Amino acid sequence: MLSKHNLVPVAEYVWEIPPTFRDDMRVPARLYADEDLLDAALADNSVVQLVNTATLPGVIKYAIAMPDIHQGYGFPIGGVLATRLPQGVISPGGVGYDINCGVRLMVSLTTVEEIKPLLDEVAFALYANCPSGVGSRGPLRLSNPELDGVLHEGARWLLGKGYARREDLDRTEEFGRIPGADATHVSDRACERGRAQLGTLGAGNHFIEVDRVAEVFDQPVAARLGIYSENVAVQIHCGSRGLGHQICEDYVSRFQKTVRDYGITLPDRELVCAPFESKEGQEYLHAMACAANFAFANRQLLAHLIRRSFKQVLAGRIKDFDLHQVYDIAHNMAEIEEHEIDGHRVRVCVHRKGSTRAFGPGSAGLPDDLRDIGQPVLIPGSMGTASYVLTGTTEAMQQTFGSTCHGAGRVMSRAKAKKMVRGADLRQQLKSRGILVCAGSMSGLAEEAPAAYKDVSRVVEVVHKVGIGKKIARLEPLAVIKG
Amino acid sequence: MDFEEIEHTADRAFRVRGRSLPKLLENAAYAMGALDGLGPAGKSSVMRETEVEGVDRETLLVNWLNEILYLEETHCEVYDRFHILEVSDTHLRAQFYGCTSGDRVTHIKAATFHNLQVKQTPEGFEATVVLDV
Repeated sequence: MLSKHNLVPVAEYVWEIPPTFRDDMRVPARLYADEDLLDAALADNSVVQLVNTATLPGVIKYAIAMPDIHQGYGFPIGGVLATRLPQGVISPGGVGYDINCGVRLMVSLTTVEEIKPLLDEVAFALYANCPSGVGSRGPLRLSNPELDGVLHEGARWLLGKGYARREDLDRTEEFGRIPGADATHVSDRACERGRAQLGTLGAGNHFIEVDRVAEVFDQPVAARLGIYSENVAVQIHCGSRGLGHQICEDYVSRFQKTVRDYGITLPDRELVCAPFESKEGQEYLHAMACAANFAFANRQLLAHLIRRSFKQVLAGRIKDFDLHQVYDIAHNMAEIEEHEIDGHRVRVCVHRKGSTRAFGPGSAGLPDDLRDIGQPVLIPGSMGTASYVLTGTTEAMQQTFGSTCHGAGRVMSRAKAKKMVRGADLRQQLKSRGILVCAGSMSGLAEEAPAAYKDVSRVVEVVHKVGIGKKIARLEPLAVIKG
Repeated sequence: MDFEEIEHTADRAFRVRGRSLPKLLENAAYAMGALDGLGPAGKSSVMRETEVEGVDRETLLVNWLNEILYLEETHCEVYDRFHILEVSDTHLRAQFYGCTSGDRVTHIKAATFHNLQVKQTPEGFEATVVLDV
């Protein structure tokens, strides 16, 4: 049984489980948390899951957990794990089923005061125009060559078709296209599931949210990102839909045999992996890149539908309603990066499972106009609380492979949330606080009740104080659209 | 059906039993549907037959549940009656019945292998399955 006694404080808010804790650990496990968040992490199996990831072949430095850590399936949610290349492994479970689940933030120069009288109309237009729910169909019917284009080109495929702007791509992680995509390693089933789903939100914790910029912590950096106090912003949270789920299923199932073939012993079968350079490992990497590109394109098409909804309702009634992209980030991904470890540049495969890339100032891979301030990082909260905009830091590069937290993190099971909260009551409560909710499923809404999540402000405070993310602005919800 | 929901912070999990391997697989399908909260599909209007492979019982169980999710999503259907027609440790053939899903949608992304073990018990078989939602 793992308890607080097994954790050694190594710095303020940083805890370590030494590799002597369990015979199969190859590196220490590190956890970023204050005392309360640590108690929450220890209340379920998330820390055991973190320790399990420290056993993967080729793992380097530490298995890391962010303060929003919670129990997942295999890897904990809120985890970061880097493996040394070329000898380390790549694990589909370390990315998860919703490959490149992520967040996009757009802002306008419209003020909250201007939009408030029209907020009902905006919310209903968003709900009507942005398909949601698991089985929903998107606005495009993709032919085989078109789907191939999406899988290989990502959000770039939508450029020139009226669905994307050059500035959108500049402000997207990896510029909206992960290199190395090869659709010959994507199954027909995955393609079949994804074909009609481009431009759809899905269900679960996915959402579109209209926000107000409630607080700005760093005025100059916020202004560089186009974020001004009391202006309107929109977040999109979704991923690669059925296409990504199927790719993960295909490879997790296939790798059940692969680990036996390579003689890899693991404490949990969901951690299955393959040597990075192996045929199986490379094929997963190529397929994962396809799903990641699909997800970038999915959020891009949704951004187009949101802009169209704003225009439909606000044109001729409000000035400056156009939405400009702040950034688009992934929080379920494996990426090939170079990091400095013990004074050497080392090539690693960084698995981020419910954690966000947070590259610091000067890092390669950032748009030229943001290189001096670091990568924008988007941390959505639960629908009744707040969300944050951060920037990546040099400390994150040094401590966490350029990574930080990804959200609030759950503390309550879905079953318990549904017992405690009625969806219709929650919608009414949020309405009384000035937050409109449009949701396809009242029980799904209850599962996502704010009480089921940790305090996002507390999570963000930890990463800010440790220095692996820098607070720029806080957003508060005005309207939430859910599947 | 012989299953119970297990607490899980972010996803859904259930423990399922069956006096035989076919019953375990059928009960797991019922359990997944029950946790999804879609309820009975109504008068059956569609029947599907499928074959599933796996390298062992655990893989067979996961692939079987994911096959159901795949067919529900791609055909816009909900199934609520399942019959395993043939089974070995690595292969199954099944028929299942349901109807078009209409506005009802599954909230489950996939069945996972997390801590999964199909155990033989004095009464038959038992497994605990975690679903990603």
